[in-house]
Amino acid sequence: MTGDRAGHRGPGSTAVAALQAALAAENAAIFGYGIAGAHLTGNSQAAALQDWTGHNEARDTLAAMIQRLGAAPAAAQASYQLPFGVHDATSARALAAYLEDGVTTAYLGVVAVSDPRLRQFGALAMQGSAQRAAFWRGSTQAFPGLAPPS
Amino acid sequence: MLAASAAALPWLLAAAGCRSQDVFTGPDPLAGRPPLGHNVVTLQAVIAAEQEMVGLYRTAVAGEAETAARSRALRPLLAQHEQHLTQLRARLIQPAGAPAPVAASGPPARSAASAAPARVTTARLRAAEHASAAGLVRRLATVEPALAQLFASIAASDATHVTVLADRALGG
Repeated sequence: MTGDRAGHRGPGSTAVAALQAALAAENAAIFGYGIAGAHLTGNSQAAALQDWTGHNEARDTLAAMIQRLGAAPAAAQASYQLPFGVHDATSARALAAYLEDGVTTAYLGVVAVSDPRLRQFGALAMQGSAQRAAFWRGSTQAFPGLAPPS
Repeated sequence: MLAASAAALPWLLAAAGCRSQDVFTGPDPLAGRPPLGHNVVTLQAVIAAEQEMVGLYRTAVAGEAETAARSRALRPLLAQHEQHLTQLRARLIQPAGAPAPVAASGPPARSAASAAPARVTTARLRAAEHASAAGLVRRLATVEPALAQLFASIAASDATHVTVLADRALGG
């Protein structure tokens, strides 16, 4: 990444930055699932609750990893701007898919760091968020986390 | 004007304070092609595996015993694997005339048609997707970051396919 090449930041700080970005995405997902879950019922609401719980666990895991690297985990924001209005089950499912896409993209940044263990961690986390996104969207994608090829 | 034979060259170099190994560094142009880089070799192996996957799906979709529902479910997955293959090939830069991609181990990659069995079960596709995702993650550690991200993204796509293929409605 640029920090490594420029020499201003070492591999450790690049890893911290990538993990902080993943943490920010997890915090946004935690907030967003709270909104989405309120518009869902039955099995969908149960799935949203399960995913909300999973994002809380991921947040704690990331916070611990960042602390082990000697940095302070960034705090969650008090509130987040939603990408679109959420008024019903359809938009709630779309929000959940959007949140998972954001998480996938953030973990893709972790895959680019030099530490092989972090790369593997990021890749496995991407698989989980891509699977959840596919569930909420109702379809799979060829390149989760990456911009569609032009 | 100086003229020197090859036999006289070491003496000329010595007179200039140089040794021959100081001058002739780098690859020997007469020794054949240099070995392919690690990223290229890895990419070739991943491309070969993706070709096998596309072949499996094509066989599965084209099978006479396929139900319309199963074909409908498999076609989008096949299309995504074809996109994977396109992107992987686009990343492959190798010298003209270099050997075609082959599997990392075992015999050279067979054509998809000859490698695939007559009937490809959903369970077989699911196992292949699972193995592909795991194999791509294993390769992340040693490739350049941009390639690692592509592998991770394809592995995530494969993981979503595993979930789709777990649907009981698709049968075994």
